[in-house]
Amino acid sequence: MFTLPLAALCGQMPAVLAVLNADQFARILDSLERNLLTPIPLCFVLGIVCTRIHGGIRIPKELYLSIAIFLLMSIGFIGGHELAHEYHEHGVSTIWKPALATLLLGCVTPITSYLVLRYLCRFSIADSAGIAAHYGSTSAVTYAVANSFVEQTQHPANSFLPTLVTILECPGIAIALVLGAALSARERAAKAGATGKPVRESKLGEALYEVMTGQSIMLMAGLLVIGFISTLFMDPKGFQPFYDFFQSKGMLFRGCLCIFLLEMGLVAGERLGDLVKVGPALVAFGILMPLVHGFLGVYLGHVAGLNLGGCTVLGAIVASASYIAAPPAVRLTLPEANPTLSITAALAITFPFNIAFGIPIYFEMAKWVGAT
Amino acid sequence: MQLYPLKLVTVVGETVIMDDIAKEGVALGATGYTLAEVSGQGSRGARAEIMTGAAKTMKCEFVVPMDVAEKILRHVSHDYFEHYACIAWLSDVQVVRGQAYVSH
Repeated sequence: MFTLPLAALCGQMPAVLAVLNADQFARILDSLERNLLTPIPLCFVLGIVCTRIHGGIRIPKELYLSIAIFLLMSIGFIGGHELAHEYHEHGVSTIWKPALATLLLGCVTPITSYLVLRYLCRFSIADSAGIAAHYGSTSAVTYAVANSFVEQTQHPANSFLPTLVTILECPGIAIALVLGAALSARERAAKAGATGKPVRESKLGEALYEVMTGQSIMLMAGLLVIGFISTLFMDPKGFQPFYDFFQSKGMLFRGCLCIFLLEMGLVAGERLGDLVKVGPALVAFGILMPLVHGFLGVYLGHVAGLNLGGCTVLGAIVASASYIAAPPAVRLTLPEANPTLSITAALAITFPFNIAFGIPIYFEMAKWVGAT
Repeated sequence: MQLYPLKLVTVVGETVIMDDIAKEGVALGATGYTLAEVSGQGSRGARAEIMTGAAKTMKCEFVVPMDVAEKILRHVSHDYFEHYACIAWLSDVQVVRGQAYVSH
């Protein structure tokens, strides 16, 4: 029943491609070049190369965990600070529409992912829901890379984008897991009836609690609130040192991002071998689904009034897949789902695709829909 | 020296389930447990920890009387063996201060 509209959508692809003329292709290639040949993606590539040739780079666990803490705190704090300025100047008038659009996207993307995986790629209910939970949520690192990209192109995103990242993180995982748990409960009950074994208790509530109280939400949302409150109530001179530390003219942040991406390259490199195991359907999904979700993000962002950089970053975070918060939650709630499929898709396909090609493509999409 | 014959239940499995197994063991009558990060290789290799810094595999041990040991092993095999990378075994041990391992 769902395959018909999807097939119709696929039928539209040549028409969409025809709209792209030679000039636009040249612009996309130019953006790709400007993005690819910069330190952040290149560090990721170095990590992958190093793993494949069994090179000797080892990032100590404590270092990349510390860097993750700094990155999340920095995103949250600066986001809270900018949000306070935005709030001071415009109230909630500029923020509520993008926030609502983001919430809507967070609810739609796990469902579209599930339908495509289940009915086009023919994965099992648990596998489809498990992968959908990863794609419904977002990746804070993809946000950081996208934000650095738009800053480098002199089109900084709207100040409140970090707020949107925190809004996007939870609902996607929750919806996909509830969907998967509800649908697979019937299968489990039937199986329990056949084998006589009682049904195992679901750990859905526990898993969702862990996602919502996980490090990325607690640090990012926590520092967002701290940045917001301290901007409004603190003397600007007293506030400045904190701002300088977290913002550091982007220096500390981007340098740390390079180290983090190097580690991600090392982890993703180990996963490259699994690409053969997961099959072509999932590889295609890992590339095409982000493009569809990215376009939705860019388009709705534009409708909600975001600027060019903002639309690009929203597209990137909607297109991205979670690989830190989602896997344990899915493992606890849908144990029959194969974790190799979802982690490989999120980390070895979609993440590299987004940071290398996706972000510049969303940037061009944002220009194409008319964002300025 | 007085030694008490008791059972050592050892469960080795993927990190995501080990905290639950430890707590469930206590609920089934164990007076305590030891959790340790370990490494190794098994037939399944299913893991969910990526870049969280957590160990991929953990070991949980309980020193318990036979009836509790059986309950824990039955529970672990029923709830976790089918879908998770997990193994459990039982050994005989001689314990100093054995009374501490029997819950009242």
